[in-house]
Order: sequence, then C-alpha cells, then structure tokens
Amino acid sequence: MSPTDAIPLLVVVLLMISVGGGEVQQLSVTFQGDTSLETLQDVHVVAGGTTTVPVGSTVSGDVYAIGGTTRVEGAVDGDVTLLAGNLSVADGATVTGTVQTIAGDSVVADGATVGRVSEFAAPVPSDSPGQRVGGFLLQFLVLGAIGWWLVGRHPALLENAGSAVTDHTLVSGVVGALGAATLLVLFVYMAFTLVLIPVAIVGLVAEFLVVVYGQVVFGYLVGTRVPVERVQVATVAGVGVFLVALEVLGMVPYVGGLVQLGVAAVGFGAVLNTYFGLKRFEPVTIPEEG
Amino acid sequence: MEFVRHVREGRWTTAFGYVLFVALMVAGYYYNITFVQLGLIDLGTRLVGLSETAVSAWMAVLALSTLVVAVATGVAMDRGGWNTALRTKLRVLFGVVCLQLVLTLVAPNVRSVSAFGAWVVAASVGLGVGFPVSFSLAIDLVPVPDRGYVAAAVTAIAYFVANAVPLSWSVDVFSRVMVAAMVPGALVLGVLSFARVDRLDALLAELGTQHRAFGTGRFCHPEIRTRSLAFVVPVALMFGVFFIDSLGFLRIIDTPSLLLSSWQSPELSTRLFIAVAHVVGAVMAGVIYVNYSLSRVFLWTFALFALTHVLYTSDLRLAAVFPSLAQGGASPLNPAVYAVAVSFYTTLNFALWPDLSTASTVGTRSAVGIGVAGWLATFTSTALALYFQAAELTLLSHLNVVQALSLLLLFGLAVGLYAHRMVELVRDGGESAT
Repeated sequence: MSPTDAIPLLVVVLLMISVGGGEVQQLSVTFQGDTSLETLQDVHVVAGGTTTVPVGSTVSGDVYAIGGTTRVEGAVDGDVTLLAGNLSVADGATVTGTVQTIAGDSVVADGATVGRVSEFAAPVPSDSPGQRVGGFLLQFLVLGAIGWWLVGRHPALLENAGSAVTDHTLVSGVVGALGAATLLVLFVYMAFTLVLIPVAIVGLVAEFLVVVYGQVVFGYLVGTRVPVERVQVATVAGVGVFLVALEVLGMVPYVGGLVQLGVAAVGFGAVLNTYFGLKRFEPVTIPEEG
Repeated sequence: MEFVRHVREGRWTTAFGYVLFVALMVAGYYYNITFVQLGLIDLGTRLVGLSETAVSAWMAVLALSTLVVAVATGVAMDRGGWNTALRTKLRVLFGVVCLQLVLTLVAPNVRSVSAFGAWVVAASVGLGVGFPVSFSLAIDLVPVPDRGYVAAAVTAIAYFVANAVPLSWSVDVFSRVMVAAMVPGALVLGVLSFARVDRLDALLAELGTQHRAFGTGRFCHPEIRTRSLAFVVPVALMFGVFFIDSLGFLRIIDTPSLLLSSWQSPELSTRLFIAVAHVVGAVMAGVIYVNYSLSRVFLWTFALFALTHVLYTSDLRLAAVFPSLAQGGASPLNPAVYAVAVSFYTTLNFALWPDLSTASTVGTRSAVGIGVAGWLATFTSTALALYFQAAELTLLSHLNVVQALSLLLLFGLAVGLYAHRMVELVRDGGESAT
C-alpha cells in the first residue's frame, strides 16, 4: 500500500472520528506484517497485515480496520469498526463498546462478550431491481424538478451552459476534467489536516452539486430536441432520456464508463466556464492584423 | 484548428510548414531534455569523476553561458534582419546540428575536467544559437491561431518518446541513440538548407513569405515594447515556473526511491503511464492556451505545480509518521501529476515567445524569454539546490520550499490580477466621473 492509496482511507477514519464527536490525541496505524496489540493509544487503525489483541491483554481505545485482518482475542475497552478487510472476535474475547461492520467480513464468536453489534446493510443493486428503479426515479424527480424550475424562471442559465457544451465541447471537457480532478485531490488532502475537514466537506458537496447542474444542462439540451412545445415539459423529458442513456452506457464495459466520465467532465467544465450559466462562454479571439 | 482547414483546402505548403516545425522542435527539445540535461550528469560523474556538486556547478555554467549566447544570437538576428530569412535560419540550424553531432560523438571519450569544461562551453554555444533560431521559425511556419496546438504536439511527442522509450540515463547510450537519430536529421536539414532544386526553392520561398501573415504574435495587438510590462511580466512568470520545476526535479531525481518508482522504473507500464500523462497534459495545455487569456494559463500552471508538490510532501510527511508505509513503494500518481504540470508549462513555453513577438523582434524576444526564463532559472535553481545540499536539507524540507514557492506564485498572480482589475475599475469610474 502506498501513501497515496492510504491517505483517502485514513481520511475516512478521521471523518468518522470527527462525526462521532471524538478527539484523537494519538493515532497508530499498522500497514503490514503481524502485530500484537498489547497497548493501545487513543485510536489504532489496521490498514494491512494481521493485528491481534492477544489473550489476556486489555487495551483501551478504538480500533478501525480498513484492510488486512484484525483478531480480537483479549479485551478491547472501546469500539471496533470494520470498514474493509476481515475481523474476528474470538471466544472469551471482550469488546465493551460496539462492533460495527460497515464493509468487509466480520465474525463474532458465540462465546465473545460484546456491548453491541451493529451491521450496516448496504443495498445490493443487482439483487434489488426495485431499489434500483426507485433510485433512478428519485434521481429523475430531483433533476427534473431542478430543470423545470430553472428553465421556467431562468432559461438563459441553461441556454448559456448548453451552448458551452455544444459549441465548445473540447474546452469544456478539458477544463472540467482538470478542475474536477484538481479540486477533488485538494479537498481530500484538505480533510487530512483535520482543521479543514468542514471546508473539505463543503467543497466536496459543492463539487457534487456542479456535477448535478451539469447533468441538468445535458437534460435541457436533449429536451430541446424532443418534439414537445412546452419547454418545461421538454426539459423534464430530456432529463429522463439523458438519465436512461447514462444507465444504458453504464452497462457497456469500460467504454461506457469512459463516456460517462467524459459527459460528466464536459458538463462540469461548461458550468464553470459559464459561471453557472450567468455568462455565455466565449474563447479569446486573436485580433486581425490591420 | 487551421491546420485541418489548410489540409482540406489543399494548401500543402503551409501544412508542410507545420510538420517541419514540429519535427525540428521535437528533435531539438528531445536532445535537450535527454542528452544535455540528463546524460551530461552521467558524463561528469561517472566518466570524468567529478562529484555531483561539481557537475551541478558546471550545469550552472552551461545555463549561464547559454543565456549569454542566446541573447547575443537573438539580437544579431533582429539587427541583421535575417530573422525573416527562412533559408538563412535553416542553415544556421544545420550548423548547430552538426556541432551537436560532433559533441555527441566525442562525449563518451571525455575523461578530463578541462575537456569536460570545453565540452560544456561548446554545448552552450550550440544551445544558445539553436534555441532563438528554432523558436523564430514559428513566424514562418505556424499560423498564430494554431500555435497552442502545435506547441502541444511538440511537447506531447518529445516527452512521450523520452519517457516511453527505455533508455538508461547514461551518456554512452544517449550518444549512440542520438548519433543514429541525428545523422539522417542532419542530412535532411542540409538538403533543405543548401540544395538547389526548383521545386524545393519554390517551397521554401513560399514558406519564407508566410512571416508577413504569421509574424505578429497573438499578444502583439497592439504592439508591445520589449521593456514594457506586457513582455517583462510573462518573462518573470515563466522564470518562476522554470525555477520551481528545476528546483524540485533536481532533488527528486537525486532520491533513488522516488526516481526508481517513476522515470527510471524498471516497469514499462509505469513509464508508459507517465508518458501518457505528459500527452494528456500537453493536449490540455494546448486547448486552454488557445481558448483563454494568458493569465488563466499561468494560474493553471502554478496550481498544477502546487498540487504536485502537495502530493509529494504529503506522502513524505505520512511516511515520516508511519515508517513502515515507506516500504510499500510510491504511487505513480505523483510523477503523473508532475508530468501534467511539466507538459503544461512546456507547451506554454513553446507558444508564448513567438506570440509575444513580431517578425522584427522575434529573435530578441525569443532569446530573452528562453534565456531568462529557461536558462537563468536553471542557473539560479541549481545554485540554490547546491546550497540546500551543502546545508544538508532533508528531502521533505527541500520539497516544502518548492511547494511554498508554488503556492506563493499562485497566490501572488491571483492577487495581482485582482488588483489589476481594481485599477481598471478605478480608471473607468474616474472617466465616468469626469
């Protein structure tokens, strides 16, 4: 595991700690090899290798597993959270707090003493077509409502952003890819500073909203080609067609994903270039020599 | 792109001009980024037996000498009036290539310090003459609207080849490869320069008249003076970019763990990844250069360098806190982002100087721009790197300085643009008040 790979996972851990209201004075991390955890600082993170709380040992603090294997054979006076990897709580082991499984594999022996067991049941799209359809409809309703409102109240916004997509596709794509990637890395690393976590969260949310706005723009563009007179209805229909197209693209291996990313980048760049549609984008021109 | 239009409309002479310019610039820049900048280090340390510090000092001499020769050549071009004489420029380039061919041939045989010094001085003459002359060809061969795209093509090809082709950073290998490549190139250039064939004469004559249409750069409407801020500020900004890149790269390539996981990786996939990143960066830079103002391009460049060094320093900080993590190997993402940043400013460098010039000033301004921004920055950054080395600065501290400089330039440019906008608003308000 390289530092660049580890940083996002550690950021997730830090975010969880902050959300829980806890404060971390010291944090230790295991990345590889076999480790016997007989003493624990405030928080210990298992990112790789095998970490064991041996029989007869008692540690006070929280354990987060984001990879590797974690074995609790002694006592943990705190919580154990599994984000990825493997976790086992053996017979005779004790966890005074919560054993929380968000992802990965966890096994709690019958003879173990655990304060509370919590398991996050993530929806499985492939096994839940109803949930998948429901998610799609929710997305359609949200984007459709935004499109309806924008095209009704401020049609110039979507028109300006749309013209940036159609007339300056390459420029929008370049700026979108560059801007989105740069901002994403910036916010992730900002979160690692702890102090700037709120800024990072706001930034990531803002970036997501820009992507959503870009999708509405594409829906508007598709709507202009739908043979419906009322522009608001056409926009909503366009959003629907666009979202269906994205779903279909998602079924195509590799190429579909790349096209989806390209569409997102173009939308992102178009929104930025037009200041969210407030101004039509015009590239610089070279004056003619007199 | 106008190139597509020229091809579609059958203007093959102009299209040939594009190809010729790209070929000449790719060849020259590939030679510069491989043999001169990397092979020379090996020559000095391994064959001549100099310390790395001494070689760095000689590199600084090379940079400073090249600056002097470049400025002298540029001024001579403009005052002599042959800045618009295409065939003359091609002949000068032919001479440069011949000189470099000889230098490349004899390089592996250099064994003494005095011979090394003589080689460095001779190389600086070739570089100093070659750079302003080759850059000035843009006014003959490349239409103004396409200079960003052409610069992107040059950067993408040169860096892709330099990174993808698995060459050891050894002067012996470089010498053999370069000689094999330079001989046919020199022959072609010789034919273009001296052969008297009616068809070729007509071709060159037509290309030679294109400076009337292509001569005035994008940023010379209205014309700017060499001593004006409109020229000095871009030079200063490019100096900053080159300085940051050189200062950081010198230390990175001096760190085996970083070097072997990136540009000198034994895995072709890693080097190919970096090569592709260079291409992506160049294409992005070309598109942005053509469609945005110069200040926006500089902002993106500084932002990318700041991002690059944030990535490097963050990894180093994390590795310092968790020593076991350092054993896991570095991610190729860092050199890839670095590659994007480097390609960004290299594309800008190729397009900027002709666009800040007119046909009558292209020699001087190209020379000053490349000399000050490129070679003087290399000289000063090398000197600073030597000082850091003598002071035994750690890798993290060194890169922290580079990161700080990147952020300082980014912030400074943003503030400068904002203040400039305020001044404009005040003037507008003043006019409306009267």
